Amino acid sequence: MPYPFWETDLGYGPLMAAIAVLHVFVSHFAIGGGLYLVVAERGARRRADLPRLAFLERLSRFFALLTLVLGALTGVAIWFVIGLLSPDGTEALIRTFVWGWAIEWTFFVVEVLAALLYYYGWRRLSPGRHMAIGWVYFAAAWLSLVVINGIVTFMLTPGAWLETGAFWDGFFNPTYWPSLVLRTGICILLGGTFAVYVAGGIPERDTRLSTVRGAGLWGLTGLLVSVVGFWMYLRVDVLSQESFREVADRLVLPGLATEYMLVATALLGAGLLITAVLLPRIQRRPVGLLLLLFALMGMGSFETYREAVRKPYVIHGYMYGNGQRKDRVEAGGEESLLERIAYRTGDDGRDLFNYSCRSCHQLEGYRAIKPFFDGTDAAYISGALAGVHVMRAPMPPFAGNAEERAVLGAWIAERVDTRPLHEIHPGVEGIELGRLVYSARCASCHAIGGYGDVRETFEDFEAEDIAEVLADNEMSEEMPRFSGDETERDALIEYILSWYEEDAPEEAPR
Amino acid sequence: MIVLALPDYDALPAPLWLLTVLHVLTLSLHFAAMGCLFGGLLTLFGARLPGGLEHPCAKRLVTLFPSLMAATVTLGVAPLLFAQLVYGRVLYSAAIVSGWFWLGIPIMAMLAYACLYAAAFTKQGVGRVRLWLLLALAGLVYVSLTYSSVFSLAERPDAQKTYYEGDASGLVWHPDVTAWIMRWLHMLGGTLTIGGFFFGVLGRRDEAARHKGQFFFLVGTGAAFLTGMVYLFTLGDLLKPFMKSAGIYSLTFGIVAALIAVPLYLKQRLWLSGLSLGLGLLGMVHARHVVRDLRLEGHLDPAAMTVDPQWGLFALFAVCLLVALAAVAWMLRLFFRADAAGA
Repeated sequence: MPYPFWETDLGYGPLMAAIAVLHVFVSHFAIGGGLYLVVAERGARRRADLPRLAFLERLSRFFALLTLVLGALTGVAIWFVIGLLSPDGTEALIRTFVWGWAIEWTFFVVEVLAALLYYYGWRRLSPGRHMAIGWVYFAAAWLSLVVINGIVTFMLTPGAWLETGAFWDGFFNPTYWPSLVLRTGICILLGGTFAVYVAGGIPERDTRLSTVRGAGLWGLTGLLVSVVGFWMYLRVDVLSQESFREVADRLVLPGLATEYMLVATALLGAGLLITAVLLPRIQRRPVGLLLLLFALMGMGSFETYREAVRKPYVIHGYMYGNGQRKDRVEAGGEESLLERIAYRTGDDGRDLFNYSCRSCHQLEGYRAIKPFFDGTDAAYISGALAGVHVMRAPMPPFAGNAEERAVLGAWIAERVDTRPLHEIHPGVEGIELGRLVYSARCASCHAIGGYGDVRETFEDFEAEDIAEVLADNEMSEEMPRFSGDETERDALIEYILSWYEEDAPEEAPR
Repeated sequence: MIVLALPDYDALPAPLWLLTVLHVLTLSLHFAAMGCLFGGLLTLFGARLPGGLEHPCAKRLVTLFPSLMAATVTLGVAPLLFAQLVYGRVLYSAAIVSGWFWLGIPIMAMLAYACLYAAAFTKQGVGRVRLWLLLALAGLVYVSLTYSSVFSLAERPDAQKTYYEGDASGLVWHPDVTAWIMRWLHMLGGTLTIGGFFFGVLGRRDEAARHKGQFFFLVGTGAAFLTGMVYLFTLGDLLKPFMKSAGIYSLTFGIVAALIAVPLYLKQRLWLSGLSLGLGLLGMVHARHVVRDLRLEGHLDPAAMTVDPQWGLFALFAVCLLVALAAVAWMLRLFFRADAAGA
């Protein structure tokens, strides 16, 4: 690990999401809005519609300010942030795709200049030349997407690149085309939605109604293209493979994000149809703002889904979120992780926690691990680390050796509540205590009615048989032995036996 | 267990010389745009033109600032990309050690950008314009100081490790002030040179503006020269190897070109003076590049990196760059040749 680890209490996920979602939202608008502007200008000039032209000039000012200040600089900010949060992943992407990025930069230069000249050229350039610059803007902006889409989709589905290492295999990966169609649709949709918002403030009634209706239809066209892109996404073979489906099934987030995405998209579509196309007279800035919020919610949910199903990787099948390469971890065996860390803090446990866990988990706070380990002990934690990669939540294997696992286990144990659960929760006993013990020591890998369900295994077991299983130190390399006290063990057995009682509840702790 | 061998990303995708040329060239362009913006702001505040910010030259400059900021940001992307490619290991490490300050760069740049737009568009009088410009200037000062701190730290991997051991929270500002202060002051001098030059070019038909531009151009050149000399002598053990490297030729070339620019500028030979100044900047940027390599000796040797050229992709980049340059030239031509009342 050649890089230091940034120890911030701010969760890496929220920090990245805040900047990335804002950037993709504005940058998609930057593309679709450019197309909307130039097409609408063409129509308005043909009809010599001066009020509409005045609106478009105002929109282009809003457009230039938003896309250049917020869009361009949040794009730069993403570079700054990924370098801090995932330097290994950034290095891999830059080394692999540097010419892709360099090509995208050439489009970016044209895009920025064209956006400025388009805005400043309304009263200076002839209509034909002004629109020509508008078309150049749109072409450059969309070509930026064409390039960056290859790199973004590579992270989710690197495809044949994993075998060949060839640029084009990684670039034209399995989700490249669906994503391009989907994102192009989103660009058009956002361009229309922003135009609806700005047009809602036009004072002159007839111009407002016709402009809002036109922009609404524009947005709905984008929505239609997005749906086609989404359908193409669903047909990509690689996404139905076990590794993705398993992650989607094992985690709550992808399902939640999908629901949010569908709800937000439906609300946006219905909102555009009703408030812009059918009843444009009710379209005012607050309504437009609400539509923009739906769009932001839909965009954020889509990006969240994409990030979530990629877990535990930063580049799927290649590099884990903590910067460890998959092949090197698998080949590592009993290799020391600490020896590979170039920047040390002087505390082995802390370094091991940083480079193994902290990219995704804080001790307390964001995705805290403390609640999971409260009521356990060092032996259990270091044992659990051996099987961290088979837990319900997808995580990379621990990349150090057994001794380091013990060091990390002890380090975490010093920072969680290691008292037995009946001391942490005085008065709780019997099946209820057993439920807590199960939740702390078993449920990460054995959810009732879900991932790793063990109810069938214990179906014909008596209390003594379960006690024997719990006492067995070598059930599996990936499963920690039971290290709770006798009270906890008895309660756990009582709880397991309660599954087979007639009035046993269907749902149990996750 | 059979472990699938996955592709490596250790190799550079082009020979080092080509990456160095691209880095030096694009960084020089970035510095030129930044000099017009940052130096232009400094000159504007220092010039005290008759009428202050109501002076036509000042007004024109204020409306140009957002575009200059756009150019600075856009032209800053490419050199950062090429620097990351070769020096990513030390650069990211320094950035992480100073994480919060590094993260502040795009945020402050964004605020500065917004302030420049506010100054250009406000109709609330000169006082408000001055306020927005001062805020933008503060943002740019932060960005420049942070870059100097982080990039000087990037050249000192041993120091990074020591500081990181003491504080891993990303709140380390390079504590060795001597390592970056002269470097920053030298950059500031260079910025003022370009800003003064640009100011004088904009106000070439106005005597007061022209003289102010010339004044700040000369002050900047003198300051850059003096601070550059002091910076050179703070190199310590590196001074000797630097004197034997290609860097000394670049530096000498840079100084001579910058000095030639002075009389040409005073004689209003603006194109020739600008060309000479640009060449001087190119020489300085290359000298800076050589100093970095010398300082990193024993830690990172770019020349020892394996190279696996992707010539097809480079050719595609070259074609795109040429098309982009042609598009830029065409659009600028359309814009500047258009009759202001054309539409």
